[in-house]
Amino acid sequence: MSDWIHKQHSVVNRIIDGSITIDSIEEFENLIKAFPNDPQLHRVFADRLVKEKSLNAADEYKTSAKLFIETGRPLQAVASKIFEWRIAKPSREDGLAFHEALNNCNPLDAPIQKFFTNLAYEEMVSLLTKLIPSSCPANTTVKKFGDEERELCFVVSGVLKETLHHRLENGEKVQKTLQTNLVEGDIFGEIYPLTDERLSPSDIKSITQAELLKISKINLLSLCTEHSNLDLLIRNLYKSRSESDKKEFSKTVRRTTRHQLPMQVNLKIFQSETGKTPLNLSGFTDDISLGGTCVILGAKYQTGHLDNLTGLNVKMQMSLPIESIKLNILGNIVWSKEISVEGKKAAIIGIQFKEMNDIDRELLKGYCCGSEAEQNLIWSLWNSLMEK
Amino acid sequence: MNEELNKENESSPKIWAIGGGKGGAGKSVVSTIMAFWLARMGNRTILVDVDLGGANLHTLLGIKSPARTLNDFITRRFESLEDICIETEEKNLRLISGASDVLSLANPHFSQKIKLITHLSRLDADYVVLDLGAGTSFNVLDFFLVAHKKIVVLTPEPTSIQNAYIFVRNAVYRKLSRLSSKNPSLQTLVKIAMDPKNVLKIRTIKELIQMIEESDENNIVEMLKKEIGDVRLSVITNMVKNDKEENAGRIVQIVAEKYLTISSADLGSVSYDKHVQTMVSDMVPLINLNQSSHAFGNVYEITNKLTKD
Repeated sequence: MSDWIHKQHSVVNRIIDGSITIDSIEEFENLIKAFPNDPQLHRVFADRLVKEKSLNAADEYKTSAKLFIETGRPLQAVASKIFEWRIAKPSREDGLAFHEALNNCNPLDAPIQKFFTNLAYEEMVSLLTKLIPSSCPANTTVKKFGDEERELCFVVSGVLKETLHHRLENGEKVQKTLQTNLVEGDIFGEIYPLTDERLSPSDIKSITQAELLKISKINLLSLCTEHSNLDLLIRNLYKSRSESDKKEFSKTVRRTTRHQLPMQVNLKIFQSETGKTPLNLSGFTDDISLGGTCVILGAKYQTGHLDNLTGLNVKMQMSLPIESIKLNILGNIVWSKEISVEGKKAAIIGIQFKEMNDIDRELLKGYCCGSEAEQNLIWSLWNSLMEK
Repeated sequence: MNEELNKENESSPKIWAIGGGKGGAGKSVVSTIMAFWLARMGNRTILVDVDLGGANLHTLLGIKSPARTLNDFITRRFESLEDICIETEEKNLRLISGASDVLSLANPHFSQKIKLITHLSRLDADYVVLDLGAGTSFNVLDFFLVAHKKIVVLTPEPTSIQNAYIFVRNAVYRKLSRLSSKNPSLQTLVKIAMDPKNVLKIRTIKELIQMIEESDENNIVEMLKKEIGDVRLSVITNMVKNDKEENAGRIVQIVAEKYLTISSADLGSVSYDKHVQTMVSDMVPLINLNQSSHAFGNVYEITNKLTKD
């Protein structure tokens, strides 16, 4: 399992996947203070500011784009930049600065990420003006087998399932032959060579909420006629995808293991005033990963003073099913919220883990995910028994 | 913990626990329909909502506000679990409603848990069906482990399969912990095995048993194999929409047999039934469900199989 999954912060993940709703702009601002370097959080915040019709959204998109570039994800940076420039029209200097940042980016290994770093300035500008962001909820059919191929789509976020079919000579569709999951950085749309007319060989459906950047075949053809290097880059993009498909017959989605089995936890919260006795509370984890956890506080905690907890350091002690083993983790309360459980008020706090020793980290990993061998067998069986 | 509950006693009820780790897998629905069928088969049955953190089973039986709950037993308003049993519309079926005070009862004291487990085995019934809910780990695992039938419900989704497996894995480790606390030799070995940096690279129960076998601790190996073998898992895949999805339970079964060395049975699957979902959201008692429903029929077959097992 990819390490990046574990680096995600539990609370941030829950906001991004929509399982925790942030009610106010202030709450968002506090989170941004807690996770200033999370590009996705800035992006979600910017989207929220757009709904509020706040001009500050442009700044958040800008920050998000900058952070995406720093983390080697130029495709996501381009998506943020498009939104930013829809709100605040860019100057030539802005364009040049972004182009330079893209060129200097050290992209992740995906071909699409490298594609954006190889664009000349004029190519980048032309492309960005024609790319259209599109968001689709989970379980949406994006494309059907036999549809005319009219656009190239870049997967900015989310997961989609592509089911390839064979076509008989009479054009009839036969049984599914291959399923692949399209994830961040993948492309779809069989439009190359751009002068050919093609029908979709697959059905594509979103599994999770997904964001795409799309460009129509007509517009891409026009751009490639104007910029021969762009044509070359697009050709290489399709070529590398084809090679990648051969190597990786059945792709595996990067699956996050969000653990749902709650665990009892004791907290020692160190108050900011020197000399003040630490606050001892207990609760149970609502969600735990290697990056952090949400904790529902027990009855001892009187709700109504949650703001006072945010930013405080906390020492957590958690018991695993092996009774003799207790994990000790140092963290920081980055977020808090009052929730209602069956009409009663309760408090939930988000804790970002800062320090734990290697042994505790391994134990937590085992508790959340099982060993690598167990995980591998689960996914291998999933692929062989469950994939349609 | 009362491991002796695992040894069935003629006068004690048979305890079935239904767990699975993840919320939303349909544990409460399966528990309710299972208890209904047990009652219809003429067995005196008590359905117990052991989701101490978020009890809601009464709503599936059409009871809006239960007059007595586990809270009354734990806080000693009533001395016996019999006193807090509530009659349902179905003959032979009674309910012990869970305590919905999420903050005070989600993590009961050890003594409260022991008291509850002891009294469950004294209930005047043929069958006691425990709906464990998602609950807190120690409570859920402990109630799961004392049951005669340990049933895991999951749905055909990757997260549900993974959560169900981790639930079973944690239950087995919990059992191991109980065993090792009574056996100093085993405790030492378990401690070595649980050290993630151990040079032997032991990560699973199977590897632990292999290590003990190599260390010539034959008595411990036999005891360990027997105790872990007694876990005997039963797996149900819920909300199945096609043939392939029926395989979800098999995945948990295969991985558990291989890495946890426990024996298990795939009880089969329960079809997705939109009427069930509608009834749950409309708070219509599940026992009013048309018995020609596929889901109802599937649970009947599973219940029948379990009673004969």
